[in-house]
Amino acid sequence: MIGGFAYRAAAAILILPAGGYLALFFGLPLLLAFLGGFGLFTRGAETGFTLEHYRVLFGTQAYRDGLWFSTYLAIVPTLVSLSLSLPLAVALARTHPGQKLFNMLYKVPLVVPGIVAAFIVMTMFDRGGLAARALAPIGIDLPKLVRDQWAVGVIIATAWKAVPFMTLIIGGSLGAINRDILAAARTLGAGPWATFVRIQVPLALPGITAAFLLTFIGGMGAYAVPNLLGPVYPLPLSVHMYVNAFERNNWGLVSAMGTVLSLISIMVLLAYYRATRSMRTAYGGEAR
Amino acid sequence: MTATLSATPMRAPRQPFLSSDGRWISLGLGLAFVVVLGLPLVVAVLWSLVDPRVGWFAPDVVPTSLALDHWHTALRNPTILSALGLSVGIGIAVTILTSVLALPTAYALAKLPFKMKRAVELFVLAPLIVPGIIVAVGVGAIFFRLDLVYTIPGVILVQTVGTLPFMIRILAATIEAIPGDLIAAARTLGAGPWSIARHIVIPLAWPGFIAGGLLTFVSSFEEFEKTFIIGSPFVQTLPVILWTYLGGRGIIFPNAAVVTFILLVPMLIVFFLAGRVLRDDVLASGMGKL
Repeated sequence: MIGGFAYRAAAAILILPAGGYLALFFGLPLLLAFLGGFGLFTRGAETGFTLEHYRVLFGTQAYRDGLWFSTYLAIVPTLVSLSLSLPLAVALARTHPGQKLFNMLYKVPLVVPGIVAAFIVMTMFDRGGLAARALAPIGIDLPKLVRDQWAVGVIIATAWKAVPFMTLIIGGSLGAINRDILAAARTLGAGPWATFVRIQVPLALPGITAAFLLTFIGGMGAYAVPNLLGPVYPLPLSVHMYVNAFERNNWGLVSAMGTVLSLISIMVLLAYYRATRSMRTAYGGEAR
Repeated sequence: MTATLSATPMRAPRQPFLSSDGRWISLGLGLAFVVVLGLPLVVAVLWSLVDPRVGWFAPDVVPTSLALDHWHTALRNPTILSALGLSVGIGIAVTILTSVLALPTAYALAKLPFKMKRAVELFVLAPLIVPGIIVAVGVGAIFFRLDLVYTIPGVILVQTVGTLPFMIRILAATIEAIPGDLIAAARTLGAGPWSIARHIVIPLAWPGFIAGGLLTFVSSFEEFEKTFIIGSPFVQTLPVILWTYLGGRGIIFPNAAVVTFILLVPMLIVFFLAGRVLRDDVLASGMGKL
């Protein structure tokens, strides 16, 4: 029949449209950004190889703090969302009145733009927002929740968007678990909690970690929400990138920042692969 | 006996641990959704209806007087109306471009054995792994040379970078489920690649196109960062307009609330239509495993 060569040629032709597109509009810009961080092929000022941009990035207090803050905005909202979406996914899978309705409603924030989520947080939690007004008569004075030091507003808005996303993925993984396994665990005397912790969570881990990873990366690169709800200082690296690119025309520094943020993402991805690989071997083909 | 038991994959009825559990779950979920979804919606509606002559100031929990003024102004504002048209147009263009580009690659990943498949999979996935702002700034540097910055085609092109990965993954997952025998039979009966694509792959991959297409349209419609960096200030989609109301010169809540609803209504229509045809497992298949 058809030989290996024909398959390879067919595969190459089929991959060309999307692959070529991504190479041109994703791979090339990323490569240029990587080189630009070392002063090569930079727009405007061609300087030759230099480490100056990285020296500036790691030598400036504001940028160092920005790097930490970007990491903070990736980790904390993701952990908050995870702690909410796990129980939500389990609850939605249980039989209960109105299950269909709830299974639809929880996904609404998926289609709500991030800026709208930011707007909602402003109307509810900003100084003079509805929460403050409603609690004032009882004598509760809310701390600053928007543009505050701990970025509580950013965390609320990010989690509000991320919880349905994570719940969808985690729910898919939980639903894919063979019911016989759960029944077996119950028969062998495991209570609901033990079944959940020792059977369901480990078997759903590939989905859980995938959801974690995607939310983490979204939080680290977020620009709009931290800009609207985050503190004046520190600013996340994404905001520094925008300012340096379009207001200061300092593309070398922007490239260095982009490279560092990408490296963090890639490291998290590699950690994910390590984690899931050991899980795949440990749990055989059940991983999904 | 044992053979029959293990041979029938149990699609067991959903079993609550206690029959009374269900009511508590509903109560808890209901309360949570009222607070987390319902309340913000009501507040946003109230903000859009604030009477500009009276305003809505603390300590009032509910505005003292309502009016449709902000809606009238917004619906007569050509910037907002053209932004709505632009957002819808860009969304449709991105969805079509993404589907056309994604289908062949999805087929190759799902059905053809070839070396370096894992590498191609990873590369196709990579735009999800790199934060959008980095893609946008990097693409911006290239588009400057190509004169594509501040143009609608530029915005369509940069948004497609972000939407391709999910579309490819969802389509590949759907195509994988098409029986190989069907394609082999068609080929034996003399069908060429085009007619196989037209009569077998595309019709059977339809759930994937719907799930991926809706996801693509929604993420294009709500996309802000890449659009803002490549298009602003000349290409003004609805999220970009909302941004100027919230972040620019002073916050204008009533205007922002009106634009929020102009943004939300098409999204919610798409969402509830999608709810009828969309299966969660198709959607989750694109992301459950990286």
